[in-house]
Amino acid sequence: MSHIDDEPVLSATGIRKSFGGVEVLHGVDLHLRPGEVLALLGENGAGKSTLVKILAGSYRPDGGEIRIDGELQGTLDPIIAKKAGIAMIFQEIADAPDLSVAENLALGDWPMRRGAIDWKAMRLSARETLDMLGGTDIDVEASMRTLSIGQRQLLEIGRNISVDARILVLDEPTAALSSAEVDRLFDTIARLKAAGVAMIYITHRLDEVTRIGDRVEVLRDGYLTLNEPVAAVDRRTMVSAMIGRETGDVLRPADQPDFGEVAIEATGLSSGSAFSDVSLNCREGEVLALYGKIGSGTAETAEALFGLRRLSAGHVTIDGEASKATNPVRAVRAGLGYLPADRKREGILGARSVAENLSAPSWPLMGRWGRVHASREWAAFSRWRTDLNIRSTNNPGQLIPALSGGNQQKVLLARWFERKSRVLLLVEPTRGVDVGARAEIYQILREKARTNNSAVIVATSDGEEVVQVADRVLVMDRGRITAELAGDDITPASLALAVGN
Amino acid sequence: MSKEPDLSTRKGRSVPELAALGVVLVVMIVFFSVTSEFFLQADNLLNVLTAISVTGVLAIPGTMLLVSGQVDLSVGSGAAFAGVTFAVVSASHGIAVGVLAAVLVGFAAGAVNGFLVTVVGINSLITTLGTLAVLRGGARLLTDGQTASVSGFSWLGTARPFLNIPLPVIIFVVLAIAAGLVMRYTVFGRSLYAIGANPVAARLVGIRIGLILFVTFVLSGLAMSLGGLILTSQLSAASTNAGLGLELTVITAIVLGGASLSGGRGSIMGTVVGLLIIGVMNNGLVLLNVNSFWQDVARGVLLILAVSFDQLRQRINAKQG
Repeated sequence: MSHIDDEPVLSATGIRKSFGGVEVLHGVDLHLRPGEVLALLGENGAGKSTLVKILAGSYRPDGGEIRIDGELQGTLDPIIAKKAGIAMIFQEIADAPDLSVAENLALGDWPMRRGAIDWKAMRLSARETLDMLGGTDIDVEASMRTLSIGQRQLLEIGRNISVDARILVLDEPTAALSSAEVDRLFDTIARLKAAGVAMIYITHRLDEVTRIGDRVEVLRDGYLTLNEPVAAVDRRTMVSAMIGRETGDVLRPADQPDFGEVAIEATGLSSGSAFSDVSLNCREGEVLALYGKIGSGTAETAEALFGLRRLSAGHVTIDGEASKATNPVRAVRAGLGYLPADRKREGILGARSVAENLSAPSWPLMGRWGRVHASREWAAFSRWRTDLNIRSTNNPGQLIPALSGGNQQKVLLARWFERKSRVLLLVEPTRGVDVGARAEIYQILREKARTNNSAVIVATSDGEEVVQVADRVLVMDRGRITAELAGDDITPASLALAVGN
Repeated sequence: MSKEPDLSTRKGRSVPELAALGVVLVVMIVFFSVTSEFFLQADNLLNVLTAISVTGVLAIPGTMLLVSGQVDLSVGSGAAFAGVTFAVVSASHGIAVGVLAAVLVGFAAGAVNGFLVTVVGINSLITTLGTLAVLRGGARLLTDGQTASVSGFSWLGTARPFLNIPLPVIIFVVLAIAAGLVMRYTVFGRSLYAIGANPVAARLVGIRIGLILFVTFVLSGLAMSLGGLILTSQLSAASTNAGLGLELTVITAIVLGGASLSGGRGSIMGTVVGLLIIGVMNNGLVLLNVNSFWQDVARGVLLILAVSFDQLRQRINAKQG
């Protein structure tokens, strides 16, 4: 920790950058000292990525100066930045899945001996790197394919750190990790910190900032809105710096409302090793959360209810009748709607328009004899665009990738509102969605559950999400329900306690 | 001002692309009109249309398949197999039974392709590369490699029932219009685009992916029957080498017409323009007395150009997304 008083290893002042005449960074400062973890916080589009890409030499700033070890960098390009010890770890892992761990760590820089690859030296140096990062359980000869995402990420760090990196930039590294893997990553970060490596940690998760950050910088619309030691600020301050207003309020009404009939009920569900003996019910108008770490069985339960996973035991009823949802086609007909966790890979129809993305499950209802009336498709889009405040042009032909993550997610929710689904099964509904849109989505879920008389089941690993949106929560651990909380009993503390047990 | 959606851009980026393609076609037509006095004559223009009609019949379900992210390479040899089957069966049992046999054979070929892709789960490129070889070999086995002559069956390929337009052209145009409407205005058509754009997401919104792809492969098989019958009728003979390399022309036309190899994009209208470009090019080169081997070279270059444009477009889209 003593390093933190040293001179900055990296110092950027008054950084400006414009794209196509629009300024996206308006004179931003960033100072990083050896062994310091700087949490860089901001909504999507706040300028975080642009700023770190400038620091890594990928973009040239329009104004401002960058100093490394006090030395002014006239023209910083990726090669100079790498030589100066700046390493970037991106969200997408780019490894060679068919090669071994050791080969991946040495990729492009294989140790040579008499014109041939020196396998022994390669394995030794791989072992050294992994031990240093806390990856003692990883076999250096294992094929990359057999590794978990968390282990692969560790290797990605190892690959970049091995070239004497002194400054490590991590871009939302925990997005796809389970909580055990997050713990391991944070352990690695602590080790690197002790070794004097300075880190810029990009995230929009507040709990991570308080766990590992020494200092927090918040960007909003290209301006620096907060720059404080983490110990000196509370979460509410960080959030308001991020979105410019207070939020994160509990949306559940103070008095427990009267819910309608039981819309979906499951008794004694088991599915292989994924989960066992899960019983639940959800009433009309109710938002029920299934809360647990990734792999605890929450998402798997939602999958099983939608017919994506075979049940080895148990019984499901919808509106009192046995569920026919043995595959997605039948599930949609039975009145179920499903929102997958991975929006890009499983949610959106990439090359297609917003209107088609919204209407897809409802096509069979948009005309007779298999016909789809485009006018109905457009009308549906216009209606939900207004209702859910989807920020897009009024053109139903606009392709869906043009929308921001939060607005894409609203389109995917509107899918099932338009289909008038009785039961919504939503897995990690706000993953990759920025804080502002997140609050909007919670509001939408609460309101639509009530006005559409539908049951909403949210499978999530985000405790804050549960506190904000759920009427009731079932806590899951290793495939079993371990606790149930309702109403005002749902607090961050009670959830943490329930998971801890 | 008005709340009505803007209709002019509802097809997204495909409109300017189709316009660019139209310009290419017009430039080619102007070029050949200037260089050859025969090009613009009505008879020659009908020749262009007749020449592309068999390719077109196969390219219609081909477009549906490519839009949904699949490809059928077996269409050329399937057409030959259907033609030879017709010739052999009709020789002993008459024309009607022969036609029925050809239709059944095409249906079966499509059903086998569909089964292998949707039930067994083999990639369609590999599946149909396999059936391409099987069907060609099967056609040669049926007649021991000989061309089988057929009599009394020239009406399908050569009749001119309306305004002196050959029947194959009329069949092609009617099918293209029908398919265009299906693609744009039905659940089936929209589902094809959805499957091509993202099969996982399409499954999760309740689209019957397996059934829809199976049906489309069967349509492709039936197009082989029709194509094979037209070819046989035009030549009054069924050659085991009929439709050799036809799959390449079909795919060139479809990709040229704006369908993406990665699925989710494309249209029948685009494919028709792609077919016209190929037809005009081949016809023009013949009129200019260019060695016919150069036609193969030109078609290959056209395919590579079309795919390059597709790649370029994907890269641009990725940057914008």
